Amino acid sequence: MVRALDTKLLRDLWHMRGQALAIALVIGAATATFVMAMGVHHSLTQTRDAYYDRNGYADIFVTMVRAPRSVVEQLAAIDGVAQAEGRIEQFATLEMPGRIAPVRAVINSVGDGGASTLNRLVLLRGRGPVSDKAGEVVIDKAFADANAVHLGDRIDAIIYGSRTRLEVVGIGLAPDYIWSIAPGELVPDASRYGIFWMGEKALEAASNRQGAINAVALKMDRGAKEAEIIRHVDTLTSQYGGTGAIGRKDHLSNAFLQSELDQLEAMTRIIPPIFLLVSTFLVYVVLGRTIRTEREEIGLLKAFGHTSASVGWHYLKFALAIALLGIVLGSAAGWWMGRSMTGQYAEYYRFPFLYYQVSAPVFLAGAALAFGSAAIGAMGGVRKAVTLSPAVAMSPPPPPVYHAGWIERLGEKAGLSAVGNMIVRHIARWPGRSGVTVFGVALSLGLLFSVLQFIDSSRAMLDNYFFRAQRQDISVSFIEPRNEKVLSELASMPGVIRVEQARAVPVMLRSGPRSKRVAIEAASSDDRLTSRVDAQGFEVALPASGLMLSRALADHLGVSVGDRVEVELLGGRQTSTTMPIASTIDELIGTRAYAQSDVLSRLSRDGAPVGSANLLIDHARRDELIGRLADMPMVLGVTERDAAMGLFQRIIDENIMSMMGFYIAFASAIAIGVVYNSARILYSERAHELATLRVLGYHRNEVGIVLLGEVALLVVMAVPVGCVVGYWLARLMVAMFSSDLFRLPFAPERSSYGVATLVVLAATTATAVIVARRVNRLDMVRVLKAHD
Amino acid sequence: MQLRLFYACTMEKCADQQGTNGRAAAFVGRALRKTYVTGETQVHALRGVDLEIYAGEVLVLLGPSGSGKSTLLNIIGGLDRPTAGELWYGETELTALDDAALTRFRRANIGFVFQFYNLIPSLTAEENVRLVTDISDDPMHPADALDLVGLAERRTHFPAQLSGGEQQRVAVARAIAKRPGVLLCDEPTGALDSQTGIRVLETLAQANRELGTTLILITHNAGIAAMADRVFNFLDGQIASIAVNEKRISASEMAW
Repeated sequence: MVRALDTKLLRDLWHMRGQALAIALVIGAATATFVMAMGVHHSLTQTRDAYYDRNGYADIFVTMVRAPRSVVEQLAAIDGVAQAEGRIEQFATLEMPGRIAPVRAVINSVGDGGASTLNRLVLLRGRGPVSDKAGEVVIDKAFADANAVHLGDRIDAIIYGSRTRLEVVGIGLAPDYIWSIAPGELVPDASRYGIFWMGEKALEAASNRQGAINAVALKMDRGAKEAEIIRHVDTLTSQYGGTGAIGRKDHLSNAFLQSELDQLEAMTRIIPPIFLLVSTFLVYVVLGRTIRTEREEIGLLKAFGHTSASVGWHYLKFALAIALLGIVLGSAAGWWMGRSMTGQYAEYYRFPFLYYQVSAPVFLAGAALAFGSAAIGAMGGVRKAVTLSPAVAMSPPPPPVYHAGWIERLGEKAGLSAVGNMIVRHIARWPGRSGVTVFGVALSLGLLFSVLQFIDSSRAMLDNYFFRAQRQDISVSFIEPRNEKVLSELASMPGVIRVEQARAVPVMLRSGPRSKRVAIEAASSDDRLTSRVDAQGFEVALPASGLMLSRALADHLGVSVGDRVEVELLGGRQTSTTMPIASTIDELIGTRAYAQSDVLSRLSRDGAPVGSANLLIDHARRDELIGRLADMPMVLGVTERDAAMGLFQRIIDENIMSMMGFYIAFASAIAIGVVYNSARILYSERAHELATLRVLGYHRNEVGIVLLGEVALLVVMAVPVGCVVGYWLARLMVAMFSSDLFRLPFAPERSSYGVATLVVLAATTATAVIVARRVNRLDMVRVLKAHD
Repeated sequence: MQLRLFYACTMEKCADQQGTNGRAAAFVGRALRKTYVTGETQVHALRGVDLEIYAGEVLVLLGPSGSGKSTLLNIIGGLDRPTAGELWYGETELTALDDAALTRFRRANIGFVFQFYNLIPSLTAEENVRLVTDISDDPMHPADALDLVGLAERRTHFPAQLSGGEQQRVAVARAIAKRPGVLLCDEPTGALDSQTGIRVLETLAQANRELGTTLILITHNAGIAAMADRVFNFLDGQIASIAVNEKRISASEMAW
């Protein structure tokens, strides 16, 4: 049988259903974001780990210019290495009919039928290539989908300078290419960059590498030390032009996935706490008010012999019941949102399977957080209910006392009307509750602003990188470094206005125990097409001598201007020297190092081969030029700035559109929850006064102003507070979402403050108007007889 | 036709159109009925009341609880509507007005005094009066209204700093400050001791005398009836009898 107190609880909840639902929505938003982020994080991690495990994802990767196959055995013999496998990685240019923009692929060698011990290929359709059958390839699923390539289709490719006809015998995936990007590109584009696998013998023949390889993957023994193995690997591979071994955390595919996972984790640490904080305050305010109005009932219950503990538990259950509703709504919403988000990840990250599954502990942790924050919010009210003595409780509470304080005089000085004074004094009379309203609305605005800032930040990065730092129209990269003659060859092509050499030399920088593998990028002082732009958007000149390091790299190495770092050349002449750090630059993308061309030439002493070039072109002759470049032997890639920029923009927009909907809804949930409760409490407290005003001859809308005026004033006060909260929240998010790969700038558009404010104002106005319609229900007749 | 003409009069315009006893009628009601439905039971609060209330008179409504006097007062004050019947205030048919027009009617013509004062606790005495003068066409200065009730010195005090009698006098000042045609008082002394009650009644009588305001009082205190021109005795939703006082006594002379 349901106890009478529980019946009261259910009726009270039903009676206050609007307020309870508003709080439940805020708690639900907390639970939803928590379940979504943790659920997606968990699902991606599980999927990744299972994929890595089943398909032998390697622990260490090294690429070389050219090494004999025997190097694999040497590397396998290193203490702590469990397995080693060598392969060829060869870039190719593809000739896709009807496509002007260049399409490229990296072709990896595999054993017969696609077999390998590490980074094993998953065949989704078709079969693996026969080892010595020329032209048989497996292509990655994303490329196949993006270009509508099917089994049995043929693609013409330029491999190592000669045209080869490839036949698609299979479509697959591999754990080392969960995420991939063409060299020199900023944005992945599966339609223009493919991952192919070809039989070992066939690729040896096509790339002129009989008996040779250029990449090795290693699997470590359990407990082996990665850094030590890498040192051994570097020593062994240096003679073959090794460019420095890297562990999983530096392997591009894994690093990007990891940075995504880190962002999800950061999200669970920022967003749910905001909602929980607001819901704690709401429970505090609403339960506090309920207990004030139920003083007499509390006295009665105690007089009848209910213990203080049972009365306290009764009110705690009130808060927990609201939390339960929020948990149920939030868990369902979070599960659903997580599923749609996981679906989106499946488009960017290539898994053969993607298990979306939210484990029970995630739901339980979400529930525990929600119950906990509701219970904390309930503490103040419950304590009051527990400590009220029955005799005191059964007498009505003393009326609110107003004194002529400075606020009262302020209102008088400001020439406020009587109604104006009612509004201002009520706010001042309940500073805690007014504060909660201001703070809650401010948090809602702040949250929305920080999300909008995210968009601005991505656009600023786009602007910084593409508009300011990269002014070329086209970048051309070569399969192997060319001599300087290629520059004049390019300059004489149709539509080319300007040609500049772009050069990067892979090195290992060391300072004490710290080291980082980077490429030193060279530029000469008369370069016009590229420049170094810092996070603030200012161009930074290269020092005449010495190195310029990005701030992130300098921090990583623990060095500052004036220090010297050890520079070890990789991938060719393995020499080592020390160079001074002449300056640092605060950059957004990557850990990078720069030097003047002549400084770099003196370092490398190799006659400055041309690895790639930047072109400024006449757009009218673009198609003709692209066609000529595609025919040029040894051209590996042609990157068009506008296309990359457009793609980047599209990715930002797609992500934003889906995320924005969620966040506008969530931020509105806070604003609605806070304002609805604030207005409802205000209404119930002032119903008697409002009815009196109606009797005195105030029209409904005039009485509505008394009710809405206070809410409006608090919301207006919340706007500047919200902008400040948003500013710091956005800074916090930018800091937490930045990784080694890129750093988000804090670059809000002014309009973002405006948009956030407008959304919050719209949500609060709509909510307040709904409550204000209760003015129609004021009972003027009762007020004549009733005590307040 | 004669009746229509009569209804169409206002106190000012038709001063020559006299009521049955030679005085101008402020309110004329015909066959007023009010039925409340609560659940499955019907409560007949008014069962066909005809009445005339004269401009400038002091009228006391007497009767036991539930006899219909408050219902009538609410209908006269434009707070409630009869289920059937007509009520005219001068040339205005109150029973035909919508909510906004009724509000305008209250704003322009009616002053209310409640049993429990109904002051706004966050406003000082003077500001409570300003609540009304802010929305009136030709109000007194709030300080003058407070002066009239003898509270000029207490104008900056908040309700919590005033005694019950003082609070009720602020309520009276609030009611008279707009120079209303009609003052409606529902048990204005119900929560006061005799001395304070008499003081409040004196103030109301003064408003009636000096401003010519029609004063309609509900009371359970039969002694108060002595200060009225007429007394409506209510019983079971009807006016059982009307008593006319040949000689009114002042509040200070009345037996409490």
